[in-house]
Amino acid sequence: MSARRAVLLVGSARPSGTGNSEAIGAYLLARLAEGGMETEVLHVSRCQRPEKERLLLQAIDGADLFVLSTPLYVDALPYLVTRCAERIAAHRAEQPERSTVRFLAMVNCGFPEWVHTCTALDICKVFAREAGFEWTGGLGLGGGEAIAGRALEKLGGQTRRLRSGLDLAAEALLAGRAVPEEAQALLARPAIPSRLYTAIGSIGWLRAALRHGTLRRLGDRPLESDRTP
Amino acid sequence: MKDDAHVSHVTVDPGAAHASARTLVLNGALPGDETLAPVEEALLAMLRDTGTLVRDIQLRDIPLAYCQGCFECWVKTPGLCKTDGDAGREITGAMIGSDLMVLLTPVTFGGYSSEIKKAMDRSICMVSPFFRRVDGEVHHRRRYRRYPALAAVGVLREPDAEQERIFRTLVERNALNFDSPVTAVCILPADAPPKVIDDRLASSLEPVLGHLAGRAA
Repeated sequence: MSARRAVLLVGSARPSGTGNSEAIGAYLLARLAEGGMETEVLHVSRCQRPEKERLLLQAIDGADLFVLSTPLYVDALPYLVTRCAERIAAHRAEQPERSTVRFLAMVNCGFPEWVHTCTALDICKVFAREAGFEWTGGLGLGGGEAIAGRALEKLGGQTRRLRSGLDLAAEALLAGRAVPEEAQALLARPAIPSRLYTAIGSIGWLRAALRHGTLRRLGDRPLESDRTP
Repeated sequence: MKDDAHVSHVTVDPGAAHASARTLVLNGALPGDETLAPVEEALLAMLRDTGTLVRDIQLRDIPLAYCQGCFECWVKTPGLCKTDGDAGREITGAMIGSDLMVLLTPVTFGGYSSEIKKAMDRSICMVSPFFRRVDGEVHHRRRYRRYPALAAVGVLREPDAEQERIFRTLVERNALNFDSPVTAVCILPADAPPKVIDDRLASSLEPVLGHLAGRAA
């Protein structure tokens, strides 16, 4: 009997090895690999050409488990993921017999509260239904920017609850079950207090502006005109 | 309103050239999909009847790169996306220069089409990287003094209460993050007859049309 196969689709447009979505997805995928699954990582930003898109569709059709790990852009899935989802759903609608594929969605956002991801997770659930995937659950994470693209294991206590939640999710997926609510409960608890997170975030923007020489221009309104309401 | 270099398919009502209020319509129809056409026609007629200047952009017909998530529009070129040479800056300029922005889209898994999403993702330069709290949640601070009212018109292939709920929530969340003064949502079935389209648009968009009338006065 061949090993079961998991495909991770990274929804970030950032270069490989630098994104938080990739770091989160890679951790889960490693747990699935430890459990005996074959794994493959695809990046949505590298699947724009027709031949690459065809390979992505084939990989998903041939998978037992399809995992999407993506950032939140403007309250929903990013353009690249939305377009890819449109293509996947259209492709699978054309299949006379759709393969059985389970689907897990993981959405991370830069705001400290995970609730910002709920709409995107709802969208993922409808996508799963339209594409004929078996929904195994959705995981939302706030404060994703604190990961800064680093491997979760290297962040120690900062990602302890996140890793525990992903461990629970992997355990359930390996056993063929849906992701338990306890996994989301673990992800929902912020690693650091919200006010500290935003203070650190603000300092980060100021430091970046200092580096770029734009400290005094951060509040610029370049699109403002006499017609701006 | 001038014709822009990249926005090739722009419809502007010449009779409203001196109007004091402006509406931007972003049409998110996917290539080859004409199901939005009758709704767009009715929507534009209704908006022009208000006497405001209406600008209609077919997103699928214009060059628009996707957001790369680099945040340089916050820290390196504050307020401007680093990507130049496409329609991104023109569209965000039109957004912030409007009194009302209308998103016309096929309801896609409960959200917007990829064409609308591409334009919306590029709009993060319209807010500040810094934070504010709204009802206990963290959001970004405003960059500009005022933002347009937001309306979304979604066309559903078949009745789907869950997708309707998600769509309404998404528009509310966008309005919250962009500090829109007024919001409206209209959801229509793809096979709606003209009378139903007209009636639903008029009733659903009433709050934003009232806002527009106030701006024009």
